[in-house]
Amino acid sequence: MGMTITEKIMAQNSGRDRVVPGQLVWTDVHTVMTMDYLGKQTFNKLHDLGVTDVFDKDRVICVSDHLVPPPTEQFATMLNQWREAVREHDITHFYDLGRQGIAHQIMVEQGHVLPGKISIGTDSHANTYGAVGAVGNAVGVTDAAVAMATGKAWFRVPESVKFVIKGEWQPWVMAKDLSLYIMGMMHWNGHLIYKSLELEGPAISALDMAGRMTLCNMTVDLGAKNGIIAPDEITAAYLAPVAKGSWSPLASDPDAHYDAIYEVDVTNVGPTLAMPDKLDDIVPVEKVVGRKFNKAFVGTCTNGRVEDFAMMAKILKGKQVHRSVNMLAVPASQTVYLESLKLGYIQTLIEAGVAIDTPSCAACAGIHTGVAGDGDVVLSAGNRNMKGRMGSKNAQIFLTSPAVVAVSAITGEITDPRTFSL
Amino acid sequence: MAKIQGTAWVAKTYVMSFDMIIQRFWTAPIDPVENSKWVMAGVDEAFNRENGFVDQGYTFIVAGHNFAGGGKSIEHCVTGLMGAGIKAVFATSFARLQFRNAINYGLPFVTCRDMNLHCATGDVLEYDPETGIIQNLSNGQTFQSLPQEPFVSEVAEAGGLLEFVKRKIADGTVAELR
Ligand code: SF4
Repeated sequence: MGMTITEKIMAQNSGRDRVVPGQLVWTDVHTVMTMDYLGKQTFNKLHDLGVTDVFDKDRVICVSDHLVPPPTEQFATMLNQWREAVREHDITHFYDLGRQGIAHQIMVEQGHVLPGKISIGTDSHANTYGAVGAVGNAVGVTDAAVAMATGKAWFRVPESVKFVIKGEWQPWVMAKDLSLYIMGMMHWNGHLIYKSLELEGPAISALDMAGRMTLCNMTVDLGAKNGIIAPDEITAAYLAPVAKGSWSPLASDPDAHYDAIYEVDVTNVGPTLAMPDKLDDIVPVEKVVGRKFNKAFVGTCTNGRVEDFAMMAKILKGKQVHRSVNMLAVPASQTVYLESLKLGYIQTLIEAGVAIDTPSCAACAGIHTGVAGDGDVVLSAGNRNMKGRMGSKNAQIFLTSPAVVAVSAITGEITDPRTFSL
Repeated sequence: MAKIQGTAWVAKTYVMSFDMIIQRFWTAPIDPVENSKWVMAGVDEAFNRENGFVDQGYTFIVAGHNFAGGGKSIEHCVTGLMGAGIKAVFATSFARLQFRNAINYGLPFVTCRDMNLHCATGDVLEYDPETGIIQNLSNGQTFQSLPQEPFVSEVAEAGGLLEFVKRKIADGTVAELR
């Protein structure tokens, strides 16, 4: 029997001809990412291992994202300790404030993840790397330290499930809507927990890299071990100017085994939204139109890319954000920021009354810029909406696409973009 | 490995990692005793005070799907449970991040389907890590869990992944790990 793409990657990187689900294997790791929040702890663990040099200083990637610019004295001090540790280990690729971005965006946009390889990071959304056909996995600081020391990590080979996405993307529908739609289909009842989630089909081939990143990013929120899309010409074109290393194409065998295969016709997917507190409480946007909110937020590793800024700018051009709404948009990296600036999106958004903040995780994890307070109702294009996620436990967070956030920001209530005329 | 006996806390609903260790402790140093003080604080209001969970004296946790879900990589969830005296967690399924952290620290996360439907908080359980058999001494039911992988026992015996890898580095066999 053939192997799935994830099984192939795990076999190739562990020096085996084949692996089977359930097997525990040690594999080579192409890159290890750690960021400000847990970076210092990771280097401490490396120290506990009795190791001073990382396995390859070009392949340990350090990024400041959760805490920059530092919102408190405590975090400023943490950042200083983190910088010290990075310097001490002479890390080649350090994306600190000024060159910063959300780590997962940086890892992909700067070519630190490659098809057919395994990259890990000390943050949950490392699943994003599957967008280029890599196995991307989040690990704790112990695993990251071991990988930094040895270039290896252990994995349990996951069972795979496949989503075949067919049909035509409808106007105003974004990859985020499909992510939420799948969440609503599957819930957290075990069908995806610990599995490798493979996405394929004509509607995936039609998707740009930004959309693929959104989809793979949210597979962690679905409970999957990794999300993956086999590399194609779009991947190759994206990686050509940035790839740090060489790679060769690979795909699942036609006779690979899947625990389940699901089909989604994207023609039927409309603007979609997750209700506050529970990510698998999914409704079509038309069910909640008219709901008032006071904060609009677009950014994060899920939806802070140039394409997301393009969508917002298209909607907000010549329009004004409603006076009862504060809207904040945060590019996912300095590269995204600059590109959106050059393309005029930033100007359009500022003219419409949107506040732009310097790239970081911003309000997503409730740490800085734009945290939610008591009574806030946030319409967010982020990935998590549990109580207290963005700050106050007495705030409500609706999750949706940048298109829904932008259109709704104009009207001041949740609005279906399909009913809105530009 | 000897059999373990003790009382169980049975989860009524999903147990999420960000509730096991609430946000203000995410950056705390990793230390079982420290991390145990506020472990599970967000899971149940009854545990939302210093040593709220520790004071219950539970030995086991029994849960349904997606234990420690929500995709947080913080290791404090596992060290906090260990500091609180938890010797094994039985669940229908585990979220992968904490599943690896548990293995890395040597706390058995044991996959056992639907045990939560047949156990109540306060029941006395006996777990035999060698056979994977779990007995509910309070109601006489028996459960067969997945047997433990040799690698998992090796790591536990070494006292955790760091020690395990440290030994491999010391004896020059780390490159042979595969
Ligand atoms: S943007 Fe949000 S989800 Fe993404 S890495 Fe930052 S805090 Fe985590």
